Amino acid sequence: MKKINFGLLLVYLFVGIFAIITVFPFIYMILGGLMSFQETTTIPPTFFPHHLQWGNYGKVFAEAPFAKYFLNTLITASVTTIVSLFNSILGAFALTNLRFKGKAVVKVIMLSLLMVPGEAIIFTNYNTIARMGLLNTYIGLVLPFLTSIFYMYYLMTYFGAISPTIYKAAMIDGASDWEYVWRILVPMSKGGLFTVGLLSFISGWNSFLWPLLVTNEDSMRLLNNGLSAFASDAGSETELQLAAATLTVLPILVIYFIFRKQIIRGVVRNDLKA
Amino acid sequence: MKTNNKKAWLYLLPTIIFVSLFSIFPILRALGMSFQSGPLINLQWTGVSNYQYIFTDPEFWRALKNTLLYAVIAVPSALVISIFLAWSIFSKIRHQSFFETMFFMPYVTSTIAIGIVFRYIFNGDYGMLNFLLRLIHFPAPNWLDDPSMNMTTLILFGIWTSLAFNIVILMGALRNIDPNYYTLADMYGASGNEKFWRITMPQLVPTIAFLLTMNIIGAFKIYTEVYALFNGQAGIGNSATTAVYYIYNKFQMVGTPGVAMAATVVLFLIILVVTFLQRKMMKRIGR
Repeated sequence: MKKINFGLLLVYLFVGIFAIITVFPFIYMILGGLMSFQETTTIPPTFFPHHLQWGNYGKVFAEAPFAKYFLNTLITASVTTIVSLFNSILGAFALTNLRFKGKAVVKVIMLSLLMVPGEAIIFTNYNTIARMGLLNTYIGLVLPFLTSIFYMYYLMTYFGAISPTIYKAAMIDGASDWEYVWRILVPMSKGGLFTVGLLSFISGWNSFLWPLLVTNEDSMRLLNNGLSAFASDAGSETELQLAAATLTVLPILVIYFIFRKQIIRGVVRNDLKA
Repeated sequence: MKTNNKKAWLYLLPTIIFVSLFSIFPILRALGMSFQSGPLINLQWTGVSNYQYIFTDPEFWRALKNTLLYAVIAVPSALVISIFLAWSIFSKIRHQSFFETMFFMPYVTSTIAIGIVFRYIFNGDYGMLNFLLRLIHFPAPNWLDDPSMNMTTLILFGIWTSLAFNIVILMGALRNIDPNYYTLADMYGASGNEKFWRITMPQLVPTIAFLLTMNIIGAFKIYTEVYALFNGQAGIGNSATTAVYYIYNKFQMVGTPGVAMAATVVLFLIILVVTFLQRKMMKRIGR
């Protein structure tokens, strides 16, 4: 008879417990959003709602303009992602393939700016946006994030992996730099660009402090700000808070489950290089 | 090939414009404002008075103390748990990518939304956590409404949120270890423990050092976690205030941007020192 391996059992137990701790809040959130108010406050706590209260979602949409929050978030996250990706592609191309005076200086400045924490500049940026009269506008929400040194460096590792002879060959064949970027560089780094786009979109979707600063009108709020305002306003209606939280998280979770490989690989890659 | 291709500047133009306007300018502006007092529309140069103010402000010290507490307790605890989890998944469990996917979920999801769930779980009256604690006859503290518990709650939440990133990075590092080491160790009959301490740990040191500094820097930037957990406040009576909270409060609520910027400069310098130490440490380890 095989001896039971207690060490291994312990390991399974440990991993199992932490897996439950990690996933439980998500499941509880989804289930809680479908409970009745009584069920959310009973002792012992309810885990499975007796009747699924889909009406909670109707109430959430009726009590706060979540559809508008969704739209705002989708617009800002998409615009930020597309424009910053575009700018990063151009910048990363110049720093990878072109030779010019001052390149070393540009690189050093960009690298040192990578170390500046966003929290240190966000308040003065707020001041700039306020002076430009862009509070409560889409432009104000996205403007400081239309370029990302971080993603530029990230793309440089992809572009750098493409042999410089391809660039030379393209030049000899009479292609312009612009054609090289869009006809060769971008198609060849599709995977990397896609990953960067995903990561950028997710962080745009989850942004909180910046939109909190530059918007105070309900119609311009992003999801997370709308959600936190809703959580304060809805007071004790826990089931509605949880339903609203589910609404906020679900789209990202769906994207995550579809593209989990790219996302995880992307995060690991850009942080090992740092 | 041209050695000085001026067109490069054209490609860098958008980046340079945005970076100058929204990265370089704000740093200089913050530095300048830290020596000025008054409301935003009428700032006056007042020398170092803002710095004197923050260093004598007990609220600022509390923010730093909380950050330190978080960095000393939450960061290492989360790291130890992550190492153990990553190693267990990597070496003992078959469905690696399944577990990896699961453990990484908190990283991609909104802290505000998760904070709402945790507020519910931590609720003193009908929360799931206190129900479980009472079930095993443990004391059931008031996690959210008792000021003396607020930092503990924040630290627990912080550990939960930081596991995701740590585990995924550690898994990546584990996969990078040359499997031949283990094959060789097996040939010499090394035990699992020996393999872990003699091969895995030494190979993980650079990754652990990296995660340690990243997490410590992260500790100085905590804001959203607190906001989410205490519904927009920094705990009861500001008991769980953090550096960024302090800055936000002085900038937006109290209307003393000079004080806020002085605190920002101090925060920035601390982060810079930590980053610098990390570089040095990594270099030493690399040798």
